[in-house]
Amino acid sequence: MPLNTAFAASDFKSELKPIWCPGCGDFGVLTALYRALANIGRPPHEIAFVSGIGCSSRIPGYTTAYGFNSVHGRALPIAQGIKLANPDLLVLVAGGDGDGFSIGGGHLPHVIRRNIDLTYIVMDNQIYGLTKGQLSPTSPRGLHTVTSPEGSLEDPVNPLLYVLGYGAHFVAQSTPADMMGLAAVIEEAIRFPGFAFVNVQSPCVTFGEPDQQLKAHREGMKPLATIGYNPTHRMKAMALAQTYGKDLYTGVLYRNPNPPPTYESLVRERQRHLAPQALPRDRILDQFMQRVAPEGSEA
Amino acid sequence: MTSDLVIGMAGSGGDGIVSAGESLTSAAACEGYHVIMTKAFGSQIRGGESSCRVRLSTSPIFNPGGTLGVAVALNWNDFMKFGPELPVGGNTVVIYDAHTGVAPDEIPLIGVTPREVCSVPIADMAKRASGSDRAKNIVVLGMLAGWFGIAQAALLQGIRKRFAKKGAAVLEGAERAFNGGLEYAARHPLRHSRPIARPAGAGAKLLADGNEMCAAAAIFAGCEFFSGYPITPSTEIMQFLSREIWKYGGALLQAEDEIAGIGAALGASFAGKKAMTATSGPGMSLKTEMLGLASIAELPLVVVNVQRGGPSTGMPTKSEQGDLFQAVFSAHGDVLRPVLAPTSVADMFAITLHAFNIAERFQTPVVILSDQDIAQRKESLDPIDTTQFVPLQRRTPNDAELRGYQRFRFTDDGVSPISRPGMLGGNYQGAGIEHNEVGAPTASGALHARMTEKRFRKFDALRAHADLFRRDGDPGAALALISWGSSAGVCREALQLAQDEGLRVKLLTPYLLYPVIEETYREFLASVRAGMIVEQSYQGQLFRILRMFLDLPAEIQSFARSGALPFQPGEVVERLRAVALRLRHADALQPAE
Repeated sequence: MPLNTAFAASDFKSELKPIWCPGCGDFGVLTALYRALANIGRPPHEIAFVSGIGCSSRIPGYTTAYGFNSVHGRALPIAQGIKLANPDLLVLVAGGDGDGFSIGGGHLPHVIRRNIDLTYIVMDNQIYGLTKGQLSPTSPRGLHTVTSPEGSLEDPVNPLLYVLGYGAHFVAQSTPADMMGLAAVIEEAIRFPGFAFVNVQSPCVTFGEPDQQLKAHREGMKPLATIGYNPTHRMKAMALAQTYGKDLYTGVLYRNPNPPPTYESLVRERQRHLAPQALPRDRILDQFMQRVAPEGSEA
Repeated sequence: MTSDLVIGMAGSGGDGIVSAGESLTSAAACEGYHVIMTKAFGSQIRGGESSCRVRLSTSPIFNPGGTLGVAVALNWNDFMKFGPELPVGGNTVVIYDAHTGVAPDEIPLIGVTPREVCSVPIADMAKRASGSDRAKNIVVLGMLAGWFGIAQAALLQGIRKRFAKKGAAVLEGAERAFNGGLEYAARHPLRHSRPIARPAGAGAKLLADGNEMCAAAAIFAGCEFFSGYPITPSTEIMQFLSREIWKYGGALLQAEDEIAGIGAALGASFAGKKAMTATSGPGMSLKTEMLGLASIAELPLVVVNVQRGGPSTGMPTKSEQGDLFQAVFSAHGDVLRPVLAPTSVADMFAITLHAFNIAERFQTPVVILSDQDIAQRKESLDPIDTTQFVPLQRRTPNDAELRGYQRFRFTDDGVSPISRPGMLGGNYQGAGIEHNEVGAPTASGALHARMTEKRFRKFDALRAHADLFRRDGDPGAALALISWGSSAGVCREALQLAQDEGLRVKLLTPYLLYPVIEETYREFLASVRAGMIVEQSYQGQLFRILRMFLDLPAEIQSFARSGALPFQPGEVVERLRAVALRLRHADALQPAE
């Protein structure tokens, strides 16, 4: 990848100091993102970065991009509106597992089927950290938390299988334990022409389980690059994705080699196609005019 | 001769009753009549009973009218299902299909003797003319044209236009059916003939419903993004824009749910575009959290709520004004959001433009409270001179303001210049979290207090908006009406009728329902000793909101009832008479000075 862009990672770093706990995985995601953005080379003012609510959703504020720290679960709809309003922008979306798979879970299938060119980074820590340690949609069955003192009675959502099942054209997973790999995956996701999903196993140091910490990741992760994996087969990716929660595969699980056109490119086409039919704005009401047409003029 | 005629028709789903009403409405508008058409259906998706009412008049009308002048029943079962929506009185001419087998003295209208009852072989005539009874509605149009002198040429032309594509045989059949109806009317003159006068000004009219007018006005205002979720009775707004918005470089998203609908619109606004979403009560409930976000992030957004009977699914195809409290108060947090209401299709254009202008100028969500009556009725109106309306743009930062840009800077008027992604130097963090002037999160109570004050103060300039109220009648009257939304259209007619009777009365119609501009009401009420606030909700929601802000005279009372049964001008006048009488009695008891 070319590294000779006009921007350095530090150009994307804002003056705000993150409120995250020391050792939080999200610091690593932020650093990886700075690097990826420097490589991409778009100036900060051409980037819109939308998030929902949660620890990880504070992330836009730590960048110099236009940020929008919105409401819980609704980052994706807002980001879609931004992208459709101005397709020239680079639009990033981030949030946690609760934001993306629980309260906002209903939006994910639809952004996928529209294939709007957004990059969606989920910092998946299997716990609700901001509200101090409740069950999350990716918490493993049996987990003891303050809302499940007797153990969770539910299976977790499998985010990878879920987005692959809905037809996402770019699906990756990574961890801050592999900084180089994470930055590369984010960069590739941004470059992908269409909706790109990156699930980052980003540990919660305060409420997370020991087997979900960076140390465990470093020891157990399985970089796909090292096993000769070819990410162009959706069904193979789905087979790998089934190991979510047990094996930590990192890298690109699926990348459609022939992605369909993006929604916004089709919108532009339609706008161009229909523009000649526009009445002048100040004559928009003419279409309501009732006239007795002269005989023989009926079309 | 009459100058005002209300025609009500009912039949089964396949009878083409609504299509006949539309033809009649369009033809009448072509000829320069003032027309309002409403339609009502049973709850079936397809089939079942359907009805429509067409009111036409030689002078301006503001509501769909009350008791029918002409009632057309293709069958009595269906007609009777609409009960009070198609009221027959002593002056009604009742026309029904002889095919029903009901004798004229046995029609199932209880407790009323219509002026005239005509049993007409409508189905037989349709069959003879076109080989099928599907042309019943066209026979009816012919009869109406013949008996009441309505728009014969325009009707025939409309029929030709509609059937031209269906081949010569079908077209000829339709023409024979129409002429059959005409001839029948000529051979069987009514005993009490009341044809309608020709309209004075034959000028062509626009014909639109409130939803399409709202959508067209949005395009005029410069709206370039719409997203929403289909919900009755607002969906036609999205349908219109899904045809039109692309032509103007805009985009539309049919969202996966109501929340995404407002979310994407808010995103588009953040990106610098004028944006709108539309819904009805239940959808509005789902959008409420995002309204709070729009308020604190100070983003312009127009949200249309086409009210229907509620709560919950309620009565999706019936009108009610029960969502005023929701529009005004439903936000979490300490916040103010402007609420506007049109009273007719005609003023939907101006109200929609005002909504966009207020949203952009004050960087705020604005709610347009429409209602099913206005949204779905077809109304004729005189062409609107659009050049008198100027769409405003949001205030963006200039070069100096972009140096050390502060998105939420404290300014004299509370409005801070707003940038958009892509603008160099304008980078900021938009957020639902409380923030300082640059947009960084804060937990400071002092800052929260100042920001809250800013978010209220910026609306002070709204108080100068005299064009957000309408005043009719005698400015010095002691007797007053206040009304909003579609009920205000009833009150405008009631005012005329009351004045014709010699009552001194006036009417205030607020288009801006919230914030309550106290000065305007105080000024209006200065001469007022008694009156009514007329609205279609059980609680009388505007009445109660006004009482929060104003000391209303004790004799200003609420005249309110729940939806689906619209007010009639006559009953408003009746009450006005009673109030006027009370005032006179009170005066008589006063010792002379």
